[in-house]
Amino acid sequence: MIELVDLTKKFKQIYAVKNLSMFIERGEIVGLLGPNGAGKSTAISILSSLVEPSGGDVRFENKSILKHPAPFRKVVGMVPQNIALYSDLTAEENLLFFGRIYRLRGKELERKVDEVLEQIGLTDRRRDVVKKFSGGMQRRLNIGVAMLHDPELLIMDEPTVGIDPQSRNYILETVKRLNEERKMTVLYTSHYMEEVEFLCDRIYIMDKGNLIASGTKDEIKQILSSEKTISITMERLNEEFLDSLKENPLVNRVTIGEKEVTILVPRDINIFSEIIKLAESTGIELNSVDNKTPTLEDVFLHLTGRALRD
Amino acid sequence: MIWQIIKKQGLLFWRNPQQLLLLVALPIILIAILGAALGSDFENESSPIKMKVAFMENVGEQEQIDQFITDLHEKLPSKAVKEIESNIENMAPINSIKAVFESEEVSDFLEITYIEPSEKNKIVEDDSYSAIVEVPESFSYDVLDFMVLGNTEAPTLTVTYNEEQQVRTSIVSSFLTQFQEQLTKGAFLGKNGIDVSTINFQEIKGEVISINEKKPVSASAYYTIGMTVMNVLFLAGAIGYYAYHEKELNVFNRIIMANVSRWVYFSGVLASGTIFAFIQSLIIFTFSWLVYGIRFPNVIDFLVVTLSFSFAIGGLAVLLSALNYRLNSETITNFFMNIIATLLAVLGGSFYPIGDFSPLIQSLGNMTPNGAGLTAYITLLRGDGIAGIVDSVMYLLIFALMTVVVAALCFPKRGVSA
Ligand SMILES: Nc1ncnc2c1ncn2[C@@H]1O[C@H](COP(=O)(O)OP(=O)(O)O)[C@@H](O)[C@H]1O
Ligand SMILES: [Mg+2]
Repeated sequence: MIELVDLTKKFKQIYAVKNLSMFIERGEIVGLLGPNGAGKSTAISILSSLVEPSGGDVRFENKSILKHPAPFRKVVGMVPQNIALYSDLTAEENLLFFGRIYRLRGKELERKVDEVLEQIGLTDRRRDVVKKFSGGMQRRLNIGVAMLHDPELLIMDEPTVGIDPQSRNYILETVKRLNEERKMTVLYTSHYMEEVEFLCDRIYIMDKGNLIASGTKDEIKQILSSEKTISITMERLNEEFLDSLKENPLVNRVTIGEKEVTILVPRDINIFSEIIKLAESTGIELNSVDNKTPTLEDVFLHLTGRALRD
Repeated sequence: MIWQIIKKQGLLFWRNPQQLLLLVALPIILIAILGAALGSDFENESSPIKMKVAFMENVGEQEQIDQFITDLHEKLPSKAVKEIESNIENMAPINSIKAVFESEEVSDFLEITYIEPSEKNKIVEDDSYSAIVEVPESFSYDVLDFMVLGNTEAPTLTVTYNEEQQVRTSIVSSFLTQFQEQLTKGAFLGKNGIDVSTINFQEIKGEVISINEKKPVSASAYYTIGMTVMNVLFLAGAIGYYAYHEKELNVFNRIIMANVSRWVYFSGVLASGTIFAFIQSLIIFTFSWLVYGIRFPNVIDFLVVTLSFSFAIGGLAVLLSALNYRLNSETITNFFMNIIATLLAVLGGSFYPIGDFSPLIQSLGNMTPNGAGLTAYITLLRGDGIAGIVDSVMYLLIFALMTVVVAALCFPKRGVSA
């Protein structure tokens, strides 16, 4: 459906996006994962023809959208990262205004507004001004506005930032439902790997403007095939234990939590007995030592040496 | 589509009572305060400016009239002389000047003192006088001679201005001009039964600057206009802010994504600025009409000025918006709101008719949209019709077009400059 070819965007000295290539097929939910500043929003702005790239091309149905964005804009709904709404207007007034901007009129407009309000669960708050809404409700309306014209492709830029878990689940369920019931194609951008893991069929991972991994969830986790993650929990940490872990040639990486240490080790090594011995010799009271299934977080950690969230 | 943008802007204003208060209630309050502080009596429509004028005759008028009639007998048939003689009271120029100065409206703010030639030097020293009007020796004779027979050079009144009181002296001079117009247009000659066509009259040159002040403008009227044209500037800024926030919040992107041309949006901002400036002006003027009884002689002329002025404000609004978009910041609008608007207001004469200080300031003031608007409104209030405001209206329209063109050049492609 849509294809990004070798997309590059340079702001003065820095590359916000560098040689990014990706594609989206009809009916998919594609995830774009990356920490803050990775270049996700920039990529999306170019993709939605709002920003001109420094290099590369965006193709919709095999035609470049850079010169002729109109046909593409018609089928795409864009959910920006910030709340792009008039906060002094009511939910309904916002929907009516943007609906009219999308050239909907009369009965059709009313029907569409009612339908969207239903979908985002704001029917009974339709006459309240947006600034009185909770963050989650604003986010929902932010999505609703992008769906007024029945887009085939919904592009969502971090649609769940800064909201309560309930609203977040509601949004995730809504996206899933739209995809299943309406065959809506979705590009979902986030720095929460759980969301991407829950929603997406295929995932692109970006960091510092570069694409560092892509594929289905399983394919991406295969990146970690040579390693496994072991989680060690304990009553109290001490430096001596950590130092000896770090010095151990078998341990590739040590990540320290409050009462937990995570280590990456080669897959075919049995390190359990060694950890227990080490704990005894350094006076650590172990609670558990687990073999963890790798997450996208682990992949990111593996690829960049940094945690996804800052 | 443009209509949707205007409607939305209206709704946004409506939902922002604070903004409305600033845009509409504040000027109304300012009008009341300024009018009350500067005009001693608002209700009575008295002028904000009081001045003293000394009036000096070298030879009494009656003497000259008698001489003129005597001489006339030698030149015209006695029947004609009789006719002129019966109307000579009304033709006597000094009488007319005095009548104007002493009329109720004028004496409200102009205090006239008749002095002897010997007192002149003393009065020149006295700073409280705005001007000394000096009637040359054979002035009345020459005026009559000039009016009836078309002989001699046009006689001239000498006016000595007090350099420190230019605001006031220009008002004095405008009254003399008013008088002069009465003479030259033959209005009162015709009215008084003299067949104007038999009289070959020419213009009398007075050493006065003509600002066509036909009716004095009261403090309340002056400040109604001054505050309106100033506060409408703030409307342009407000629209600039709204437009920038639409960009910042990505609402503008949403509009673009709906395949709406940025020029439609641009026109929407221009139209919003124009329409809401128009509405704002109408509200304030309606208020001052209801409360202070300030009304314009001709509604159509008034609407012409208001529309042209509103269009200039629309241009300003779209220019500020375009600059905000181009520079990707609202600094320019802040700067406009905090500094430029006030400068324009001062220069345009919103607080005080500073244009009267010097012709340079006057022309600078008239180059501000608010100053041009103010000049046009004052001209209308003084009773000049559409002819008197052509320049200001043309200037406002040119200003509007220029701002629109510059704004269009600044308005970035895709709404982003990078
Ligand atoms: N308009 C801009 N001008 C300069 N730098 C920018 C601009 N927009 C984004 N950047 C930079 O590009 C990088 C990527 O930003 P962004 O695409 O917003 O990342 P993300 O959405 O993944 O958090 C960041 O380093 C950011 O500072
Ligand atoms: Mg972003």
